[in-house]
Amino acid sequence: MTAGTLLDVKDLSVRFVMPRRSPFGGRPMLHAVRDVSFSLRPGRTLGLVGESGSGKTTTAMAAIRLLEAHSGAVMFDGVDLLKLDAEAMRRHRRHLQVIFQDPYSSLNPRERVGAIVREPLDLMMPGTSRAERTERVGELFGLVGLRPDQMALFPHQFSGGQRQRVSIARALATNPRLVVCDEPVSALDVAIQAQILNLLRRLQDEYGLSYLFISHDLGVVQFICDDIAVMYLGQIVEYSDRPSLFSRPRHPYTAALLAAAPSLARRKSAGYVREGAVKGDPPSPLNIPPGCAFASRCPRVQPKCLKERPLLVRDGGGSVACHYPLA
Amino acid sequence: MNVGTPEPLLSIRGLKVEFSTRHGKVTALDGIDLDLMPGETLGVVGESGCGKSITALATMGLIPDPPGRIAGGHVLFDGEDITRADPRRLRSLRGADISMIFQEPMTSLNPVFTAGDQIAEAIMLHQSAGKAEADRMAVELLRTVGIPEPERRSRSYPHELSGGMRQRVMIAMAISCRPRILIADEPTTALDVTVQAQIFDLMRDIQRQFSVAIMLITHDMGAIAEMADRVAVMYAGRIVEKGTADEILDHPLHPYTRGLIGCIPVLGKEAGEEGRMPPLAEIPGIVPPLHLLGRGCAFADRCPLAFDRCRAESPALEGGAHKVACFAAEMEAA
Repeated sequence: MTAGTLLDVKDLSVRFVMPRRSPFGGRPMLHAVRDVSFSLRPGRTLGLVGESGSGKTTTAMAAIRLLEAHSGAVMFDGVDLLKLDAEAMRRHRRHLQVIFQDPYSSLNPRERVGAIVREPLDLMMPGTSRAERTERVGELFGLVGLRPDQMALFPHQFSGGQRQRVSIARALATNPRLVVCDEPVSALDVAIQAQILNLLRRLQDEYGLSYLFISHDLGVVQFICDDIAVMYLGQIVEYSDRPSLFSRPRHPYTAALLAAAPSLARRKSAGYVREGAVKGDPPSPLNIPPGCAFASRCPRVQPKCLKERPLLVRDGGGSVACHYPLA
Repeated sequence: MNVGTPEPLLSIRGLKVEFSTRHGKVTALDGIDLDLMPGETLGVVGESGCGKSITALATMGLIPDPPGRIAGGHVLFDGEDITRADPRRLRSLRGADISMIFQEPMTSLNPVFTAGDQIAEAIMLHQSAGKAEADRMAVELLRTVGIPEPERRSRSYPHELSGGMRQRVMIAMAISCRPRILIADEPTTALDVTVQAQIFDLMRDIQRQFSVAIMLITHDMGAIAEMADRVAVMYAGRIVEKGTADEILDHPLHPYTRGLIGCIPVLGKEAGEEGRMPPLAEIPGIVPPLHLLGRGCAFADRCPLAFDRCRAESPALEGGAHKVACFAAEMEAA
């Protein structure tokens, strides 16, 4: 582990055993995440980008042990989280929090939002009085732009954006060092997205938070992330800092993602025709092709790509897993 | 038809739609005027609850009644008022002259019929074709919308297809009778970004090939830039700004439109090497519930430019080719 790293994930793999297809068949194995490595410095944001099924959420959830990893190591502050026993892991949980995608299903509808935000404190901060904890909840409400008098309300009395603020307050309650943001704005209207993104960045500046930020939206990723790992079918295909990834993508998949993302500069009136569009859908993670996973859709595919799996190798400022990276 | 001044294919005039809710009667659409020209793409953009989907449903004669009701105005398709058409006439229009693709292709396809059967059904309903002929046409349509191995895929059930392929099946069904208008209600929201790009490219191809007019309903200004010729921006059941896509994107007049454009993290504008992106513009607050709308401009409470008059009366949509409903924009122009 290099100095000044908060989270260092090494060769993380996650597999799921699927149900038998027939009574006589074996159980197929789904390789959701394959040998993923990345690191996150304190106060920074690492984006995990990819399409549905690319393994970005599974990677993050396995890294904080909300899912069981098959192999690998997750060094958090010098400790391998995957080797901790249950009690030690529970003590570590206060440093690791999550903001989920859907603010409608991630808050208990029967609980008042004040109690929802206080719950992590009740569980993780023994030795504090209830009055102290309630005061802290009031403080958190102010921090995320809610009024303390709203503590007595239920989740259904809030809009989607406000619910996401409640989720953020809950995640920050225990002063975590790492917050996993799993598509925190994709369920929100565009105007509300901006409010939440600005809030997340302001909180990061004030409290030195580190974010592991999962998103499929490259505009959002470019706004909030410092470093980005692009995932495809369970592997990182490109890993780089933000300016180089957006100005000089090396992997054809990254280039395709950038070409596909809507942008205000691409105008129908100017006769815009998309270049470098990819065909088809990603292959199934149950049946991973032998060579490069992207080969079946890649516009630059060569015979070697179908046979040999490219490894993620350092190349200039970042890393890329491609036999024939873009210049 | 006079070549100099083309007639609109679809002309919505003063359309007002009301719903009875437990809060009493609410006005979901309040005097909408829209024109769709032959072969063009009109983008209708706004946040959830602004009335863009209701506009689409009204155009198809699909407002659920009750609780909904068309309380005023007309929807003229080729001169014929859809709001007054009887159910039999509506059935023959829908699918044949005006067709629609929806947001969630999984829930809009019937899970117990194959893709080919569902397309063939539409063909047999509107054209004098037998089953064998319709099946053959269905395979041809699947080929047109870019589905590989169309013969095999026509025998697939919806659950055997990916999200992108399902949306292609929906498009095949929608264009099966050569409609003149295609209404697309957030057609790519449920899809991944590379698949979204494929569907947009397909829609542009279809438009060129069949010269169909498209009404694209979306919340995404990026989709508007790529797809639309003209744009209507909606807020709380009204059109607040209308113009060509370039005018709206480059010179937005309404503070709401400016907010919508400013709050998107725009891809491509890269800050310096280690610099950060500037904060996003924010529109404070949320869309007001329809039953709480007052007399004034519905956007006044969120508007940075609002003054007394905005809270007292509601601005009308005014201007030449680029129209806006805003007192502040009016003063700016004067």
